[in-house]
Amino acid sequence: MTVFEAVKESLLEVVPETDPAAVVPGRTLRELGCTSIDRAEVVTLAMERLGVVVPISEFQDVNDLDAIVALLAEHR
Amino acid sequence: MSAPAVVGTGIVCSLGADVPAFTAALRDGRSGITRADGVLCAPLGDWSFRAAVDDVPEPLRTRALRAAGRSPRPVAAAVAAVVEAWVAAGLPDVPGDRVGVVVAGHNLTDRYAHDLHESYAHRLDYLPARFALHALDTDHVGTISEVLSATGEGYTVGGASASGNVAIVHGARLVAAGVVDCCVVVGALTELTPLHRRGFTALGALAAPDGDPAGACRPFDADRRGFVPGEAAAALVLESAASAARRGVPVRALVPGVALGLDGNRLADPSAAGEARVMRAALRAAGVEPGELDYVNAHGTASRLGDETELAALHAVLGDAVARPWVNSTKGLTGHCLASAGVVEAVATVAQLAGGFVHPSANLANPVDDRVRFAGATARPARLDRALSNGFGFGGINSAVVFAAVHNGG
Repeated sequence: MTVFEAVKESLLEVVPETDPAAVVPGRTLRELGCTSIDRAEVVTLAMERLGVVVPISEFQDVNDLDAIVALLAEHR
Repeated sequence: MSAPAVVGTGIVCSLGADVPAFTAALRDGRSGITRADGVLCAPLGDWSFRAAVDDVPEPLRTRALRAAGRSPRPVAAAVAAVVEAWVAAGLPDVPGDRVGVVVAGHNLTDRYAHDLHESYAHRLDYLPARFALHALDTDHVGTISEVLSATGEGYTVGGASASGNVAIVHGARLVAAGVVDCCVVVGALTELTPLHRRGFTALGALAAPDGDPAGACRPFDADRRGFVPGEAAAALVLESAASAARRGVPVRALVPGVALGLDGNRLADPSAAGEARVMRAALRAAGVEPGELDYVNAHGTASRLGDETELAALHAVLGDAVARPWVNSTKGLTGHCLASAGVVEAVATVAQLAGGFVHPSANLANPVDDRVRFAGATARPARLDRALSNGFGFGGINSAVVFAAVHNGG
């Protein structure tokens, strides 16, 4: 599973009403229907899927898919 | 001050996932009690939130799914019951700040926390980010308020097994005092953990899981042996008479009298005097004389001491008129739904008032009191105008609510 796939699957689990085809690089989580709590949930779910641990503080200002994927990849 | 009206009811329980299914099961005297893995319970079973809200009109359906699609099961079940009651109430168009939410119960997230502890205690980094929200009892309040866009007063209220009635009392007061026009009163589903179940067992409160599960719960029977836990979420929409009249919606029943009181006692030691006091107070507030009462939905858990104490209280309150009202215990069919019991039994009471019947008494082979008019083994038609619903909790928390029928068109 790629990091992007893990994030996408996590996002669709948290906001199932979001169109999977809309989950593409370059989008912000807000655009994809996520609240700030949803975003935190997506991050922890993706960490669990990938078996990586990223300090939550590092996600503080990270709001778009690409940045989340990059941060998770950095710790993989 | 006119009595608050019940304009909608909703329920999700072992007997069915909506009020029509629940009412049909009550008429049939069908029990939801089963035994699984050596444990007696009336479980919700394989209920699905998504399926439950499938027929709900938009935009309520989408709001419900968005708010509670990933909620712990008790919150999802509460939302399903609320949505059913709200639709039944004709989707009240009252302003959001005139809608209140009162949720019955406490320790509602014990099972959620227990289950997440099992999964995440040894890998805390992956604890779901929603935990801090879902671990609060008030997650019920927030989620339901979001679904209904309710911005009036809202809170949880606790009273152990009397919680459901405590919530009805507070909801009725909010409406009667004019604080809100509509109040959603929600009985929250209690999921026991192994520790909580064992705790009840240690007190000798639970029926032992031997023999036929259908015969395990025997309220007011000489052979009763304790309660069986049940899972249910239930909801009432209470509305002021003026608001209901403005909307032109049918009133299903009125709540003319409510009462709460404590025994000054922290134990599981019920007091007939304390119970009689709230029953009298509720009847007096409703202007109902003992000889005018048609039906009692008893607390009746099938506890040896509890049932006996409740009967003593009924005798004290009703005197010679104790032979008049029909008496049954819904817990014989649904199990004891703990935090939600009072709201479950309010839904059952309103269904019987409106439907003109009394549901059967489960397993009442040898009634312990031959002067009380217990419902029999089958449902029977009855014109019921005034009903009393009791709820008593550990720690001496006593409650009683009077419901009055509204026979539309005579």
